[in-house]
This record gives sequence, C-alpha cells and structure tokens, in this order.
Amino acid sequence: MSNVGAWLTVAAAMPSLIAGASSARIEVERLRRLAVVGAAVMLAASLIVAMLPHAFELRTSAFTSEPGGEAVLRVDALSSVLLPLAAGLWLLTVAVTPRAALDRGGLRRTALATLITFASFLTESAVVLLLLSAGSLWTFLTALGGHQYQRRIVAVYLGASTVLFGVGVALLIGPHTQGTRWASVGLWIIAAAALLRKGIVPFHAWVPELFDRGRLGPTILYSAPQVGAYMTVVLIVPRATPELLRIIAVLALATSVYGAALALVQTSARRACGYLFMSQSALVMAGLDCTSTSALAGGLVVWLSAGLAFAGLARSVLVLEARRGRLDLSSYHGGYDRTPLLAISFLTMGLACTGFPGTLGFVGQELLVNGAVDAFPVMGFAIVAASALTGLAVLRMYFSLFCGRRDVFAHSALRFELTRREAWTLVAVIVALIGLGIAPRPLVDSRLAASDRILRERAHMSARE
Amino acid sequence: MTSLSLAWLVLLGVGSPFLLFAVLGGASLLNRPLRERWTGFLAAGSMTLSCAVLLTGLIIAGATRTGPRLLSFGAWSASHEGGVAIEFLVDRASLGFAALAAAIAGVVSAFSYRYLHREPGYNRYFILLSLFVSGMLLVALAGNVEVLFVGWELVGLSSALLVGFFHDRPAAVANALRVFSVYRVSDAAMLSAAVLLRHVAGTDSLSLLFGAARATTAGLSSANATMIAVLLIVAVAGKSALLPFSGWLPRAMEGPTPSSAVYYGSLSIHAGCFLLLRSAPLLMHAPAARVLAGVLGLVTAAFAGLATRVQSDVKSSLAYASLTQVGLIVVEIALGWNRLAFVHLAGHACFRLLQFLSAPNVLHDLHGMEETLSERSPKSVGVEVLLPQRWRRRLFLFALERGFLDSVLDRLVVNPFTATARRLTNLDAWLCGAVLPVERMLAPQAVREQDE
Repeated sequence: MSNVGAWLTVAAAMPSLIAGASSARIEVERLRRLAVVGAAVMLAASLIVAMLPHAFELRTSAFTSEPGGEAVLRVDALSSVLLPLAAGLWLLTVAVTPRAALDRGGLRRTALATLITFASFLTESAVVLLLLSAGSLWTFLTALGGHQYQRRIVAVYLGASTVLFGVGVALLIGPHTQGTRWASVGLWIIAAAALLRKGIVPFHAWVPELFDRGRLGPTILYSAPQVGAYMTVVLIVPRATPELLRIIAVLALATSVYGAALALVQTSARRACGYLFMSQSALVMAGLDCTSTSALAGGLVVWLSAGLAFAGLARSVLVLEARRGRLDLSSYHGGYDRTPLLAISFLTMGLACTGFPGTLGFVGQELLVNGAVDAFPVMGFAIVAASALTGLAVLRMYFSLFCGRRDVFAHSALRFELTRREAWTLVAVIVALIGLGIAPRPLVDSRLAASDRILRERAHMSARE
Repeated sequence: MTSLSLAWLVLLGVGSPFLLFAVLGGASLLNRPLRERWTGFLAAGSMTLSCAVLLTGLIIAGATRTGPRLLSFGAWSASHEGGVAIEFLVDRASLGFAALAAAIAGVVSAFSYRYLHREPGYNRYFILLSLFVSGMLLVALAGNVEVLFVGWELVGLSSALLVGFFHDRPAAVANALRVFSVYRVSDAAMLSAAVLLRHVAGTDSLSLLFGAARATTAGLSSANATMIAVLLIVAVAGKSALLPFSGWLPRAMEGPTPSSAVYYGSLSIHAGCFLLLRSAPLLMHAPAARVLAGVLGLVTAAFAGLATRVQSDVKSSLAYASLTQVGLIVVEIALGWNRLAFVHLAGHACFRLLQFLSAPNVLHDLHGMEETLSERSPKSVGVEVLLPQRWRRRLFLFALERGFLDSVLDRLVVNPFTATARRLTNLDAWLCGAVLPVERMLAPQAVREQDE
C-alpha cells in the first residue's frame, strides 16, 4: 500500500509542481520542457500504479467520507487504468500543442485540469466528484480566455450539468432522502447531468459548436478523459434500475450513429471532430448498459481507446491548423509529402476511433458487440452502422486534409514538418494504440476484472435495497 | 504431428506478409524508409516464402486426405468469455486460394519492383500491398467471423488507399473515397451477418457457414439462414462490384497498374466470390438467397459484358471483362457447381493478372504496328449488330454511362443522406444558440465574428 501511495504522490506532484512553477520567473519554453518531463514522469508513475499487484488495496476506512459512504480516495481495477490516461493526455497536450497556443497561463491551466481529472479518477465520493466537477468547469472557462461565444456555451451547458449534478447528489445522499423516492429522482437527475456533460442526444447540440468555435486545445483536454462516463460508472451504474441503464444505452447508441453520420458531411474539420467525439464517447456509455461482463469491459476498453485516439486525432488537426490556418473539408489541401508522419498519425488515430482491426478500438468494439449481442442485439447493429460511418468520415477528412493537391503554392522555405517532440509523441501514441491492439490481453483482463467488480457492486447494492 | 506442422506452416504463411508490413511500416514511421532495392527484395522474399509454405501445407492437406480442420491459436484478446480467438479453417480450398493469393502477390511484387522504380510512393505501395496480401490470406483461411472481418477490412482499406496512390490528383482521391464508401457498406453487411449469426446461433465460428459442421447448419432456421445469406450476398456484392455496386469498379482504376491487376483483375474482386463459395452450404439451406445470388450474378455478367465493349481505356475495359467472369462465377455458385466455380475463379484470376500486367506493352506494340501499317487495326464485331440501329444506340449509351449506376445511387442514397445530415447540422447549431441568453441570440453573427 505504501508503494501505491508513494507512486500516486509522485504522479500527483508533477502537475502541482508545474502549476507552481508557472508562477516563477522561468522562460516559457523551458517551463514547457519541464512540463513535458513532468507529464512523462506522471505517466510512468501512473503506469507503475496500474501494474502494481497491490494497487487495489488502497481503499481504507480512514479515507471514507461520511455522507455517501464511498471512499474519497481509492485505487481499484477501474481507476488504475484511467490514471495513465489522464497523464498521457497531459503529455500529449504539452508536447504537441503549437507554441502560440500554449503560453505560461496555458501550461498552468493544463496542469490544473490534469490534476483535477486525476483526482476525479481517484475518488468515488459524490461530494468530492461534484467539487472537482465545479473546479474543472472553472479551469475550462478560464482556459477559453476571450472567446465569448465558446465561454457562453460552456457556462450554459456545462454549468447546467454541474448544477444538475449538485441537485442530484443532494437528493441522492442527503440525510433525509436516502432510501426514499427522492433518492431515485436524484439518480435520474445525475443521469441527466452525465448525459448533458457527455453530449448525448438530445443534449448534444453544444458539442460541435464548442469544437468549431474558439479554442480547440482546452476543449480536447476537457472532453477526452470522459469524466462524465466516470460519474456514470461510479454513481449511476451501481444504483440504477435496468430500465434507466437501457434508456442511457439506447440514447448513447443513437448518438453514436447520429454523430458518425453528421461527421461525414461537415465542411469544418473542427466540427467534424466534434461529431466524431460525440459518436465515440457515446459508445462508452452504451457499454455501461451492463448486459454482460464482457460488454461492460468492452465499454471500458473503448473509453481508453477513444480517449487516446480522439485526443491524438484532434491534436493532429490542431498541429495542422498551426501550419495552414483554419481547415475546410470542402476542398483538398494536399501536403502529404511535406508532413507524411502527421498524415499517417491522423489516419491511424482516426482508424483507431473507428475500431479498425489492429488497433485498440477494434478490441473494445468486438468485446462490446460480442458481450451485448445475446441480450441486446440492437447494440451490435448500431455499432456496426456507427463504425462504418465513422470510418468513412475519417477517410474523407484524411483525403481532404492531406491529399488531392500538389503543394505548388507553398513557399519552399516554409517549415511544415513536425518538430522532433511532436513527431516522437505522435509515434508514441500510434505505438500505444497499435501495440495494445495487437497484444490486448493484459488490458482486457484488467477491464474484465473492473467490470466484474462493478457488476458485483451493483448486485450488492440491489440486494441491500 | 501433421496438424502441428500444418499449424506452423499456416502461421508462417500468414505471418510473413504481416512481418513485411511491420518492417516497411515501422521504418517509414520512424522516418527511415528502406531503399528501393531492399524493399523490393524483402517483398519478393516474403511473398515467395508465404507461397512456398502454403503450397507445402496444401500438399500435406491433400496427401492426408482429411476433411476441414480448425486450427486454433488460442484466445487473443482475453482469457475469459467474449474474447476473440485466432482460428483458421484449413482445407484444400482455403489453402489453395491462399497459396494462389500469395503466388499472385509474389508475381505482382516482382513486376512492381521495376514498374514503380523511382516512384515517390514506392515504399507506401509495398506497405499497402503487404497489408492487402495479409488481409487476403486471412479472408482465405479465416476460421471465425472476427478473423474473416479483419482480413476483409485490411483488403478494403489497402484497396482504397492504393486507388488514391497518386494522392496529389483530386480525381484519384475522390474515386478512392467512393470506392471506400461502397466497401464500408459491404463491411457493414458482413458484420451485420456476423451479429445475426452470433445472436441466433450463439457462435461466431465459420464452420457453421462453411459446412465443416453440416449437422449444426441444419440447426439454423430457414428464415435466419436466408437473412444471414442475404447479408453475405450484399457484402459480396460490395466487394466484388456486383450490381448495384458496380459503379466503383472503373473509378478504382486510378491506382498504379500492378495494384489494379492484383485487386480488380485477380484477387480482391474474387474475394467476395470465394466467400460465397465457402458459404455454399449455407446457400443450400437458403434457396431464396441462392436465387438472389444467381440473378445478381447473371445480370451483372450481362451488364459488364456490355460495358466492357465500349470502354475507352484498357484498364476499365479489362475490369469490366473481369466483372463479367465474376458474375458467371457467382451464377455457378448459385447453381451449386462449386468445383467448377473454384477452377473458374483460380484460372480467371491468373489469366486476368497476365492481361492487366501485359496491357501497357500490348498497347505499345499495337500502336507501333498501326503506325507501321498506317492503318487502324480492325474492330471486333459482336452480336449487337443484329439489333436495330435505335436499340444499338441506346445500348451504347447505357454501356458508355456504365448503366447510370453512379447517378442513380447519388440520387437515391447520397444526395438525400447529405441533405438530411446538413439540415440536422443546422438544427444542432440553432438548438445550441436557442438555449443561450436572448441578447446574444439576437446577434450571433457579431459574436462569431468577435470570436474569429
């Protein structure tokens, strides 16, 4: 246990240090290099926590809060793999984001946002999650700076989600509401909050607008870890009736097909990313229907693959935007020969999003379909449709952004190629997605263990009620 | 012992092109692409090795005269339920087709080594070719739906990317997307068949469809068998360019000639036929699907036979000629003449490969001969001369416009889909704005301008 505690401390210390160092008089580029090193250390420490055999013992009564009875701080089969995801997304952000889009304040905010996400994955206390959710919203709002339209979207939609979450938590764990009808009303309200935060149909309209206008970087960092899915797993899944879970799954499947279909016709690369994100993140929610252990495990694997692959894809768009300006999908931009690695990264990450064989996404989607097909065959057909449309949308984006034109207009002195830091980070993400896609057993076994634990907890809660 | 050696041979045969892909792709990813000579040498070596071991496997399987064998390499994705297993269904047909695929890929590799000399995308071509061969071998040897689907997807993606090989040409890229969109329909149909099979039969083993477990095939109800068979026929129609999906075939000719030869002359276009051939026991159980396959094959053969006569470029003409034979092979399968269909498929794949690869030389020689003789070579005359002039003109237009298939699909599917999706996009934008406070809603344009 002490080992786990020590590694967790190291991991959590890194973003805290960078946030603190951003106030010191350190040159921005140097601070950024420090942030890259810090994120790499955090990733390594999180991976060690995930691989430590005794990691699941960190759940003691000393950390248990009174109101909900849930542990304020714990590491278990579910969270142990999400911690490296939070760290990996931070590393991707600080290593790949163009220099102009990540100043001193940006570095501080990304560190704080990562710390909040990291802490969220370490708790199952509703109150702590609510506080962290509010903190995350504040960080996101400050990161959007002067982009008023985007700030208003975030304030209205995510603010509403946080308020709903607060009301739901109050009803769920309030001293006079536990075990009453109000507790189940609270659960429905929390479910609505999670759906709003995740952009599930019919609460989805804000997602593509948010991606399309203003700053894409903070939007990726806020969206990719999918804390809304975590809220659902920790608070809703153990307590919800099968009907509520089925409603969430049906809405999520509709979102997945809808998002993929609309991504296919967008003329803005950012907006297409928004719809792709909607589609991918909805698959995670669909897996939480709890039809079987393997379907749930599939949802958890898709969570990781979609988080990593989508963040990589959207960061690639950001990198390309830094070189070419706003990207329009109604024409061909060419330039494959100048940025082949970026093109390959974009395509690979996009294919991982679609669940293409050989990537982690395929493993997750297979588990999801195989696990759900007996009890809920509609899920299988919906995933097939969503995957087909997503694949088409990704290839259309790839062709439009990297092919179809000779680079005759660009001056030969213009530097288009990736920096070494960008190149290595993108290669690392590709290796992770393909490596875990080719040898997925350790990860899948850990996800099966996590889903087994979630289902046991659910059975235990049902028996108690 | 034989089983063990066969397993090793199959593993080596399938693994060899995968290894080639990993080596070439890894080197390119690390920005250290191999030299042309090394790439060509490794590609030819890998394909030769694959062909040799698969042929050895075929000889062993033929000598032992045992029935189909399921070679299982254990669970791949998970040690518990729901995991994907690596399984190959090995018999003379699957090994024969796999060996044929590896041999043809070897020939094309050797041809491409010189044909694509100093082409900027030389490495990319061989990476995609190795991905394609890996996919074809998986399609040929698949023992369960997952393995089949992996192969099917690899073939589809590599095909689309090779159609767009000359990626600085807008037409090549647009056509690649079109090809890929039909392939996605095919993929979706294939996966839907798999989902249905899993739902009604509780298994994803292809023994059920391919007849290794005929007793259990009877366990499928006729309605379920028909639905699965129809979905498979849609998948096959997409991959093998049967009607109404034939429109993508001439578009696919944008790629380099060797890739056109291996995809649309010999292997990829026959992948669907091979799948249908393997599913023959299921078709026997679903007479309505057999009729559908037969009609589809016959109509496609007639249409392609007509279209091939009026194409103005040799690659399109050859592609439609291939499609004519593919249609006939499908008819043979529907009639239950499976051995004839297999021989037809193998023979046609080899013959058409030769035609595609030699076409540039033949054309060159023909032009030379015409210049020497100062006259055009005589036109061939077909049965259409028996028709009245008015009908001949109509048929000519129909064939020249390739059956108007693209415009019909555009009008019936693509345009309504695009228009609906665009309306929904606008609705989303409106809904998002509608919930924001009123004062901003009154001036959304100003706000947007301020943001941008």
